[in-house]
Amino acid sequence: MIERDHVWRYSFVGTMLVVLPILIIIRVVRIQINPEQLRSDFESRGWAYERRTIVPARGQIYDRWGSLLAGNQKVYEVGIELQYVKSPETIAQTLNIVLGLDYKRVLDAASTKAGPDAVYAVVADNITQDQINKLAVIIDQMKNAYPNSTDKNTPSLRGLVYQAHLGRIYPETTLGSNILGFVSRTGEGYFGVEERFNDLLAGKSKTILVPKDPNRAQELPQVPDGASLVLTIDREIQRSMEQIIDRALIETGSVSGTIVVIDPKTGEVLAMATTPRLDLNEYWQYADVFPKDVPFNRAVMEAYEPGSVYKVLTMASALDVGAVKPDTTFVDTGQIEVGGARIINWNGGAWGPQNMTGCLQHSLNVCLAWVATKVGASDFYRYMQAFGIGHLTGVDLAGENPGRLKVPGDNDWYAADLGTNAFGQGVAATPLQMAASISAVANGGKMMAPHLVRSVLNGGFQHDIEQSVVGMPIKPETAQTLTKMLAKSLETESSDALVTGYRVAGKTGTAEIPTPFGYTSNATNASFVGWGPVDDPRFLVYVWLEKPQTSPWGSVVAAPVFREAVEQLVVLLNLPPDDVRLKLNRN
Amino acid sequence: MEHLENIAQTYSQAPWRKQLQFLGLFSLILVAVGVVAGIYLTVSAHSATLGREIQAMQYGTYSQNDRDGLEVVNREIEDLQSQLALISSASDMRARASKLGFVPVDTTKVIYIKVAGYEQRQPASLGPHTEQPVVSAPVMPPEYTESLFDWLSRESQAWSFSLVGGKP
Repeated sequence: MIERDHVWRYSFVGTMLVVLPILIIIRVVRIQINPEQLRSDFESRGWAYERRTIVPARGQIYDRWGSLLAGNQKVYEVGIELQYVKSPETIAQTLNIVLGLDYKRVLDAASTKAGPDAVYAVVADNITQDQINKLAVIIDQMKNAYPNSTDKNTPSLRGLVYQAHLGRIYPETTLGSNILGFVSRTGEGYFGVEERFNDLLAGKSKTILVPKDPNRAQELPQVPDGASLVLTIDREIQRSMEQIIDRALIETGSVSGTIVVIDPKTGEVLAMATTPRLDLNEYWQYADVFPKDVPFNRAVMEAYEPGSVYKVLTMASALDVGAVKPDTTFVDTGQIEVGGARIINWNGGAWGPQNMTGCLQHSLNVCLAWVATKVGASDFYRYMQAFGIGHLTGVDLAGENPGRLKVPGDNDWYAADLGTNAFGQGVAATPLQMAASISAVANGGKMMAPHLVRSVLNGGFQHDIEQSVVGMPIKPETAQTLTKMLAKSLETESSDALVTGYRVAGKTGTAEIPTPFGYTSNATNASFVGWGPVDDPRFLVYVWLEKPQTSPWGSVVAAPVFREAVEQLVVLLNLPPDDVRLKLNRN
Repeated sequence: MEHLENIAQTYSQAPWRKQLQFLGLFSLILVAVGVVAGIYLTVSAHSATLGREIQAMQYGTYSQNDRDGLEVVNREIEDLQSQLALISSASDMRARASKLGFVPVDTTKVIYIKVAGYEQRQPASLGPHTEQPVVSAPVMPPEYTESLFDWLSRESQAWSFSLVGGKP
């Protein structure tokens, strides 16, 4: 009887010992494969970790001497944490008074009902430290005045928060603005260096999961800052050139003006001053400063018919190919027909017998058209292409315009183009393109790639950008001969471009501006290109004044601008007058 | 003799003696566990505090003072660099120079002299000009990573160098 009682007890215990482990195993398996469980596990990880995006600081931009042109400053984002808002009216009124924000817009944002899809509203960004200091004082005062008030009508700034982050700042405001470009609120670079090197400057942001558990504190991954750039620009030269072009605009009544200064030996752009300019710290004024069709940087984004400065290239090709020599005589009858088109001189006159220096000195269209015919279309355009006309210079700025050079074989090229192209009509080039191509003449025939970035600072190291030779469009002897011819022509005509103490070579340019109906406008583009010192060129200056009002001629309006620019340049470049330099070099 | 045997037998058979032994052993274990638990708690609390400090230093989280974060410090550095650039901008410098009585020089007033050994101003060098990455100094001292054998080896080398007067 007793044994029978024991049997069912033993059976029960045995069954339990079998069933319970089976249930445990089933449960364990279920936990492992149950999607609900996976979700809850994921959620628990969400609480255990914080997702953080590490945004590297945008790289800085310096001038060639290390002066900061574009940096970062602490700015604040002002926002509203909707779930804590007690008085939207107080928030709206405070932000209206302190930050000048629109009352209704802030009120709408602050009145938004908090929910899963409405947690936080950004109401302002790029707020300065001074403004935040004022805001902080008011928030503190409000807290002290109404501590722990539960009254619904009590003024309260609860929910109003601000958070610091880095924003772009341009300490030089408008200086070099056309070169630098700007960074928008979203961190995207627009125009200039900021756009061209946006990826490099911005760096790569990284999103990581940071454990909240202090026992699992780990080293944050190193997110390198964006690379910084050292430009070839000289801040002082840039500033001087900007002042000179601004003055020239007022004095000549020109629509716009541009000065490009490059070192012909290296291709480094020392200054690129153009109009209009934008205070980059107020980039939102862009549309007002640059109304429709006004390019951000005329020096690289606007191609124009350069006119007689182009004769430098025509003569260079003719001398190089052996079509003419400096003493070759041309009898100017005042007109010539090329490809069925009649070409006349700028004053419509006949200048009689002229050597090639005289042709350049008097800027005779007829003579240069004849010279081009002597070179021949095939060689002429081969040389123009070698000079880079019609091609991008590859300068490290966004939005470069390649210009236009029609060549034989193009649908819109006619035989007459050879004659007109010879004196810079029917061909379009940017000021930088012209400066770069003519720099080959200044640099003994060797054409350097124009560039604005001198070095890249990345990962703590400075990598210098190698200077590159674009080509050798003409022989060194040709370059020397032409430089002497152009120096002599300036001296003979007592040009306004001459600089006391410094021998310079150069050429004026006056180009009619084409309209849809031909060259019917009286408006001109006045230009001047020059370089010096002739025996050892250290600079090349290209000046362009668009539609000057006081005089249409480059020799009258652009040449004095060149002289003024060089007078400033030689001081800033520590370049002694020729006689002093030669004497110092001899000692 | 018989008397002594009786005492020994009585003592060995005393029930309270066994209970005392058990109690003593239990207390010993309890104290040991308590000591271990105390050490564990102290170490883990210290570790958690340090963990929080590290987190705060790295990105300001949990910090009472927002200025503690590495991110914030980097931001301050960037900001100060820009502030410096603002007060030394070309226009500000020129205005300050004018205030001090300086005037822009023109070509006719400049005197050039040759100075032996004078080197012309060089363009900005804001970092080492090298393609080879420089190995940065280790953050952790070797004591934290090296093995006992490494330590012995290092120490013996240091001793041998110091004995012969060399520099390790």
